[in-house]
Amino acid sequence: MKLTIRKVAVSLMFAGALAFCLSAAAQQTASSATQQLQSYDQSREVSLVGTVVKYDPASSVAPVGAHVLIQSGSGQVDVHLGNSKVLQASHLELNAGDSVRIIGENLAAGNGTIFAARIVQKGTQAVAVRSSKGFPLTPASSLSQNQKEALGGVR
Amino acid sequence: MKRLLLALASVAALWTAACGGGGGTTVLPPPTGKFSLSSLMGTYSFVTNGEVITSTAATSFALARAGSFTANGQGGITAGVEDVNSSGVTTLAVQITGGSYTVNADGRGTLTLNLGSGGSINFGLVLTSTSGGLMIDETFNSTQASTGSGNFTLQTGGPFTVASAAGSYVFDFSGLDGSGNPDSIVGEFAANAGVVNTGVQDENDNGNIPATPTPVSFTGVLAQDALDPNGPADLGTFGRGVASLNGINYVFYIVSSNRLRFLSTSNGEMLVGDAVAQNNTIPANVAALNSGFSFIVSGTSGNGGIVRIGRFTATGATVSNVLVDTNDAGKFTPTNSGTSTSIALDPVNPGRGTVTFKDPNLSVPFTFVFYLSSATNGVIQDVTQSTTNGATDVADGAIGGQTGSPFASSNITGTYAMNWSGLSIQAGVADEEDFVGQATVSNLAFTTGAADIFEFQSIFLNNTGAQTDNALTGSILLNGGNGTGSDGKRSTMAVTLTKNGQATTVNFVVYFVSPQLAYFANTSTSSTRIVAGVLEAQP
Repeated sequence: MKLTIRKVAVSLMFAGALAFCLSAAAQQTASSATQQLQSYDQSREVSLVGTVVKYDPASSVAPVGAHVLIQSGSGQVDVHLGNSKVLQASHLELNAGDSVRIIGENLAAGNGTIFAARIVQKGTQAVAVRSSKGFPLTPASSLSQNQKEALGGVR
Repeated sequence: MKRLLLALASVAALWTAACGGGGGTTVLPPPTGKFSLSSLMGTYSFVTNGEVITSTAATSFALARAGSFTANGQGGITAGVEDVNSSGVTTLAVQITGGSYTVNADGRGTLTLNLGSGGSINFGLVLTSTSGGLMIDETFNSTQASTGSGNFTLQTGGPFTVASAAGSYVFDFSGLDGSGNPDSIVGEFAANAGVVNTGVQDENDNGNIPATPTPVSFTGVLAQDALDPNGPADLGTFGRGVASLNGINYVFYIVSSNRLRFLSTSNGEMLVGDAVAQNNTIPANVAALNSGFSFIVSGTSGNGGIVRIGRFTATGATVSNVLVDTNDAGKFTPTNSGTSTSIALDPVNPGRGTVTFKDPNLSVPFTFVFYLSSATNGVIQDVTQSTTNGATDVADGAIGGQTGSPFASSNITGTYAMNWSGLSIQAGVADEEDFVGQATVSNLAFTTGAADIFEFQSIFLNNTGAQTDNALTGSILLNGGNGTGSDGKRSTMAVTLTKNGQATTVNFVVYFVSPQLAYFANTSTSSTRIVAGVLEAQP
């Protein structure tokens, strides 16, 4: 499913006490002794541009699911993509060396943070992997006509 | 999980990678117990919720099915009907023209339903009584493979009419909205001759919830399906009809006047769930609350699949002895106490209430909305507000008053059916896992047992399969407590599965509702899973 990527400020953003730094070191740092129960907020989104270092469709490192390690201008960033089936259903493959643009934001994850992707763009193809409220999507969110016809035969 | 829980080799390779232990072949002892083919006799309504992959698909998609079949007590299926919703794409009123089933002495068995449109669908099952049991979808053929967990329940009170659904019902529908976002709806409605006049619901659609939980009123109708190719017979025999509730269309099955089950059919939504009759024992006000409650919710957080399981004691408006275990996409958080606690009942909508408690180590309090169908049982929805914007997750499930404690080896004994569902990561592949089994508990140990486990591998259709007849052993550990958790001590459970000499152990935290029922979810010592399930005593 191709989406129109909306313009998102590339600059780092701050919201409340949570600093949004796209460095790997920042992701490892506990945000505070009190764990956040934070949800996704599009007003905090940033655009991350870089090169794929490694793609893991089924990481067992929390948050489990698809992760991609991106080499950006400010260091390596571990990006959580959610459900790898969404990329599969959209025939978007991520391989080492691919140039990608990812729209997302840092979310609290346990005592640290993770960069949560909402939209992944490779070349001219962009795929939404999270909903507008930041919940990982399933392939149901991007059914093509052919896929709908195939599912119509399910018994 | 939920659903809970919804994401992503050959089964033999997976099993080898996941398990330790030596070689050899597992030979299960002959099953023992009270069940036989005649234990499954009559018309049963069934539902499963999982995933499907077709021969032309690049990946798998969410799938829910609801239906009804008639078993003849001799291993044959004589008739039935089912409805399918695959990620919002529906196939309705598929006639079941025949089939077969097996039932072992321990209640485990298989079920094959032949479809009038060609082909068949297959299930593994375990009876909890002659009135029903637990099941998983094990369909695997050249055109589709599907999995999912669910149950089947004997339908009584037929022949059915629309008026068979009468009185007040509490419901929990969950799944996907028309855009593929997670959605949860809990509420209650009253039906009278097909008219729903007084319904209210709390919805968490994609995290959009009001700052203060506020029910929304709705109306609806229940009717015979004029488009059903089998005509009125499907309503009379199988209880199948159509409904519109708050603008969403459904098919429904009347299990009895006490239970209806629904599957959405409109707007590209995939919602499934039951409505249970609300009786006159629901507490009139908060002062009437005096019980420990176990609860479990599963669904989706911003990180992925989430399960919260726990318990609390409500004594009037006082909430105490809070314990919660959260598995948020592989991040495990134990909550050992609750502060700023409160519980309230809605004075306008009978049985509806809210409960709140705060983990001192978390930034915001947990908040849940519940609807009770009886003095102690009901449905529950997580409406915890995040620190920023909307709900922390979309999750719902069951709440049950704890009875029969202290739980101990003296009353947690006998044979139990077991089912779990969720996400499993094995050998670099993440996908749905469904489990159904049976075991004998003696001295808090699973002394004998067997199970089917379907680690769905949807990357390739031909690599999808179920592992049937695993040996099951393990234990339940009450940790020196009384099993309720009111003493701050969690109960745990270990399940060891052995197949072809390879053994693996999955560890759980378990919260008993009664000696006959418990909710469980895996712990950090089994961190390659996000699964949750039920343990249910056999007679």
